[in-house]
Amino acid sequence: MNAIEIEGLHTYYGKSHILHGVSLTVEEGRLTTLLGRNGAGKTTTMRSVMGLTPAREGTVRIFGRETTRWPSFRIAALGVGYVPEGRRIFPNLSVEENLKVPLERPGPWSIPRVYELFPRLQERKLNRGRQLSGGEQEMLSIARALLLNPRVLILDEPSQGLAPLIVRDVFRIVAEMRNEGISVLLVEQNVRMSLEIADYAYVLDDGMIVHAGPAAELARDEERIQSLAGATAEEWHEKEPAA
Amino acid sequence: MLQLVLFNLFNGLIIGAFYVLTALGLSMILNLSNVINFAHGNFLALGGYLAYVLIPYIGFWPALVVSPLLTAVLGFVVERTMIRRIYGRDPIYSLLLTFGLAFMIQDGCRYIWGVNGLPLTTPASISQPLSQEFFFLTGYRLFVVGIVIVAVAALFAFLRYTRMGMRIRAGVLDLDTVSALGINVRLLRSLNFAFGIFLAGLAGVLAGGQIGLNPNMGDDLLLPSFVAIIVGGMGSLVGTLLGGLLIGVAAAITTIFYASASQAVIYVIMAVVLLARPRGLLGEEGLQ
Ligand SMILES: Nc1ncnc2c1ncn2[C@@H]1O[C@H](COP(=O)(O)OP(=O)(O)OP(=O)(O)O)[C@@H](O)[C@H]1O
Ligand SMILES: [Mg+2]
Repeated sequence: MNAIEIEGLHTYYGKSHILHGVSLTVEEGRLTTLLGRNGAGKTTTMRSVMGLTPAREGTVRIFGRETTRWPSFRIAALGVGYVPEGRRIFPNLSVEENLKVPLERPGPWSIPRVYELFPRLQERKLNRGRQLSGGEQEMLSIARALLLNPRVLILDEPSQGLAPLIVRDVFRIVAEMRNEGISVLLVEQNVRMSLEIADYAYVLDDGMIVHAGPAAELARDEERIQSLAGATAEEWHEKEPAA
Repeated sequence: MLQLVLFNLFNGLIIGAFYVLTALGLSMILNLSNVINFAHGNFLALGGYLAYVLIPYIGFWPALVVSPLLTAVLGFVVERTMIRRIYGRDPIYSLLLTFGLAFMIQDGCRYIWGVNGLPLTTPASISQPLSQEFFFLTGYRLFVVGIVIVAVAALFAFLRYTRMGMRIRAGVLDLDTVSALGINVRLLRSLNFAFGIFLAGLAGVLAGGQIGLNPNMGDDLLLPSFVAIIVGGMGSLVGTLLGGLLIGVAAAITTIFYASASQAVIYVIMAVVLLARPRGLLGEEGLQ
């Protein structure tokens, strides 16, 4: 069974037509990455999968259930952990309170266990969300999604705006999740690092899938990386000062 | 003179306590549902009338809990069947809907219980003045203050220490993300609405015991409660608490010097607070 199956998705914001028939599959137990430059429609695709901006046409299937018109909370309750773009941690809640918001699905993840994975969060557990650094916020957002005990984890640009060292940490943890048996859909602009850890890759441009294939294959195709996946944006990220 | 000042201060505290109960419920509903519930004062009256019906059968003390609960159940049903349909729409819809509800509940009360005031009998044990000198310190008034303190403390503890309370606080700023974390936000909103209505029902029973029941009894509380929310800062329940007490006490103190300005002073305070802090006393806290 596939974790996520998207077919012919058309999504709009009001009148603007953003996704033009996007199809992609996240196989169970694998790490699939969705690449693409700014404004390609990656976040919109994720929002459609999560039911936050439902598609007008096409279907979303998650673990075999058709979820296209479901409200977000039902989709999440199937075991879909979502780390949204910009982290979206709750700024008025403490770190520990942030971790108590998600639905308590049964499974291996508990608050002590995520503190083991992210010791920094335990040190800051009484701080408000808004007092955290960008890297800490990212960890909190991932930890929060893990506490739902997801079967599939969706991450939307987890490395955005983070210092290179912390970016390494984030990618290491994402790879670890796959090794734990969680299926992963990783949206990134950081093309090279994503392809290093991914099994399969898609490239989105202007609301259409323009490439699909094994990650290793795409990683060798230097020209394609340059032209399709917004390598300039990546370089810009690399040069960015520490967050 | 001391007696007069104390008398009015205490009066202000009582009035403030009623503002606080009403405003906290309104504020909870506004924060999570983005709906200004113009029927809030009518749910309050309904709570009082339900106690009037129940007291002969179950007595005052059980009715103090059961009538607000029944009012809350009704609020839950109203949210599920009507209010939720207008979420995300232009505010004009919620204004029309809750105004309509206000008239329906008010006329319903009038139809069933009549236009004339009805007394709500309170137990003799809490109705006596505590002393001759401080005649205004009846046991009942102390009791009202005590119950309000307990209810407000329970509300804040609930919001602070339970998972559901955390989800409500998180949802005030970002309901989509709460939903994407698997929480049934439709149910969360319905329950939150019911909690707000519970507080209104409780205020209705308490007010009924003090000034009696009539179909319009909530109307005088509604406007000052809005002012309390605005003075305290939208999105902050602690602010609402402070705002309610502040305007209650200010109105009472003004009564000593210039009685006819006691209502106007509420709006003067609002203007002054908004000039100094456009988002209210604690407005930034929740909204940032
Ligand atoms: N709420 C919105 N209303 C209208 N248009 C939007 C909205 N959000 C995004 N868009 C538009 O939809 C297109 C796709 O945006 P989307 O956020 O999905 O891209 P993205 O691939 O995630 O980009 P980025 O890498 O910058 O995050 C863009 O042209 C954007 O301007
Ligand atoms: Mg995006």
